[in-house]
Amino acid sequence: MALLQIHDPSAAPTPIGIDLGTTNSLVAYVTSLGEPTTILDCDSEALVPSVVHYAKDGRVIVGRDAQKLALVLPKDTLMSVKRFMGRGADDAETRRLSTYQFAKSDGPVVKFEVGQGRVVTPIEVSAEILRTLKENAEDELGRVGGAVITVPAYFDDAQRQATKDAGKLAGLNVLRLLNEPTAAALAYGLDSKKNGTFIVFDLGGGTFDVTVLSLDDGVFQVRSTGGDTQLGGDDMDRALAHHVFASMQADASSAAPELVRAILDASRAIKHALTANETVEADIDLPGGKSFAARVTRPEFDALIKPIIERTGPTCRRALRDAGIEVAAVDGVILVGGATRVPLVREFVTALFEKEPLGSIDPDQVVALGAAIQADLLAGSGPRDEVLLLDVLPLSLGVETMGGVVERILARNTAIPAGAKQVFTTYADNQTGFELHVVQGERDLAIDCRSLAHFTLKGIPAMPAGMARLAVSFEVDADGLLKVSAREESTGIEQSIDVKPSYGLSDDAIEKMLLTAYEHGEADVATRALREQQVEAARILAATKKAVESDAALLEGPEERARIDAAVAQLEAAVKGTDHRAIAHLIESLDETASAFAGRRMDLRIRQALTGRSVKDVADESAHAQGIEAHLGNTK
Amino acid sequence: MDPFSTLGLSLRFDLDVAELERRYRDLQRALHPDKHTQASPSERRATLSKAVEVNEAYRVLRDDLSRASALLAAHGVNVVSESKADPELLMEVMELREALAEARATKNDAAVATLAARVKALEDATRRAMIEGFAANDFKKAALSWTRMRYLRRFVDEVNAIAEEKENAAARGV
Repeated sequence: MALLQIHDPSAAPTPIGIDLGTTNSLVAYVTSLGEPTTILDCDSEALVPSVVHYAKDGRVIVGRDAQKLALVLPKDTLMSVKRFMGRGADDAETRRLSTYQFAKSDGPVVKFEVGQGRVVTPIEVSAEILRTLKENAEDELGRVGGAVITVPAYFDDAQRQATKDAGKLAGLNVLRLLNEPTAAALAYGLDSKKNGTFIVFDLGGGTFDVTVLSLDDGVFQVRSTGGDTQLGGDDMDRALAHHVFASMQADASSAAPELVRAILDASRAIKHALTANETVEADIDLPGGKSFAARVTRPEFDALIKPIIERTGPTCRRALRDAGIEVAAVDGVILVGGATRVPLVREFVTALFEKEPLGSIDPDQVVALGAAIQADLLAGSGPRDEVLLLDVLPLSLGVETMGGVVERILARNTAIPAGAKQVFTTYADNQTGFELHVVQGERDLAIDCRSLAHFTLKGIPAMPAGMARLAVSFEVDADGLLKVSAREESTGIEQSIDVKPSYGLSDDAIEKMLLTAYEHGEADVATRALREQQVEAARILAATKKAVESDAALLEGPEERARIDAAVAQLEAAVKGTDHRAIAHLIESLDETASAFAGRRMDLRIRQALTGRSVKDVADESAHAQGIEAHLGNTK
Repeated sequence: MDPFSTLGLSLRFDLDVAELERRYRDLQRALHPDKHTQASPSERRATLSKAVEVNEAYRVLRDDLSRASALLAAHGVNVVSESKADPELLMEVMELREALAEARATKNDAAVATLAARVKALEDATRRAMIEGFAANDFKKAALSWTRMRYLRRFVDEVNAIAEEKENAAARGV
């Protein structure tokens, strides 16, 4: 197949895939030969510890160097920050064994105090990790294109939004949030080219996910997903740390942060060593020059972590039930996440699904490799036309109604993108505002679910009570993120909506952070706006030209063609200038001019899909049609 | 548009599941946002809303109960407002649920399993009646089966809830 190469490929920025993990993070890309590959840092390591140290001189240190500093400066060094993404200050998570200093928060977002009175949110900490990965990628690739960032499948809307905001703050063009198990399946599926039903069992540092998906000729379709965003290898470290504290006859709850950090780190090392050894003896260096000789056997460790691992059982069985699949119908089990190296986890998974899990790809790298493949697909450069990921909403979405009861709007495991519409009415005469509380979760009462946001509809036209018809649209995009819009149906007036996220930052707050991140303020903002509009203009120009060329038959006469050509020419002229508003305006007018044509193109694609012809047949046919047209053109 | 037309399928209850899955995949290959990242804004908007519609149609058609009500709606029968449960059915379901509640309270797993099997058999019979109803264009019969199936479905949900409760308790080591 002949691909049109308009740009010089060596100058095109390379899309990247990022696994933003609780313990470690990685960045990967797809080589020009089509091979997904992880990018190594200056120490030739793929894994960057997700650790951020805020130094006294204002510098920010990320990765292995930060990890070393965690022992001496635990309060200024943040680890496992992913567990706090999209979380409130009142969450149970903030009260667990850890070394952080929580700042008094004026909002619902957790904030850490990291020395010299500096206060940071989990979003900013994650952005530091992402920035480091981006820099590593730039060292390797030169220019970096858009990024796919992975999230646990079971992340709720607030956690996803926080991750996307962190990406923006790090200066990344986030193409997509991709669920980690789906990423892993993509890496495995394209590797083995096997069709069937697969389980992805993902036990990372801080989160557990299980996903049932089917793979059919390149289409990865998630059937169901389940998980626990507060369960992972960290819990094993903590259980072992409590055990070590007990054998030291020390009290964990009153221990100094330095001691807690030392014991937690040692526990993790012991856990790792117990994968290959039956007994581990370790001299733990304690703060103040002392040391403690710890000895842990595999059976002791297994007894400590058994309750943690068993918590995954009901989640797995529910996912199977939701997918309508019996254990016997499972064709393969994919293990993801460092914690799946623990022998007891493998035993448990083998027994649960009655088969040996697959293990040909490094469980630490498989997610980043899958993310890189998806980034490559989304950038439209890859030859993998047949590959498609169909994912689902992990947790039900609902609104709070009278008496605090949740009315479900979209059920869990609904394929995304998804949408639903609900009509509400006013309860007072001339009521101009209306508040909606949107929650996520499976419980019947709003208070037992996760509060996502309060949406306030404004500017409802004055009407007697019960007369207004407020049609509220809930849309979940392919990132799993919710958008809400509303319209009063009898007048057709679009309502403006104020969003107050329960556990996140508002758009304004993010915009402010972005502004302060740009050192030169206003001038930078204008440059950024111009560049964004130029990129968008280039995209729509390329898309329009390609569409007009390949579907010329769908144009209604030479007039439509002439109108589109004129709009193209105007935009092309504006792109050469520096007025970003003019470019934005002309993008809109070109889009409008070509929208009827775009609709006809879509209808054609739908007809083609429904008549069951392969993409190749259709391509051949349109090439043939173009040939005829060209021929006719010549004879005229 | 009714979900059958959205997926280009004929209006029938016992549809070919493999065909449904194939249509769904083919349409999403053409419509999914991942396939239009480089397209113009209006094309992205149009394909996105169509992709949402296809997902919704697929969800409706995959499930017996929602497929039946969509099919009845396409024939002008609104099951929610028009179907009334007959007293015999209500009695039967009430007895079943009482027996289930007792089995749950006494932690009698064998009794739960027996009841679940009985309801499964009833569900299968109802599905057959529904297929017959639709095949004969007897929408009244089909609507009755729909009501019956909805009651049985609630019972199955309860059985699943019991199983989940038990698994969770076991995992907590209770």
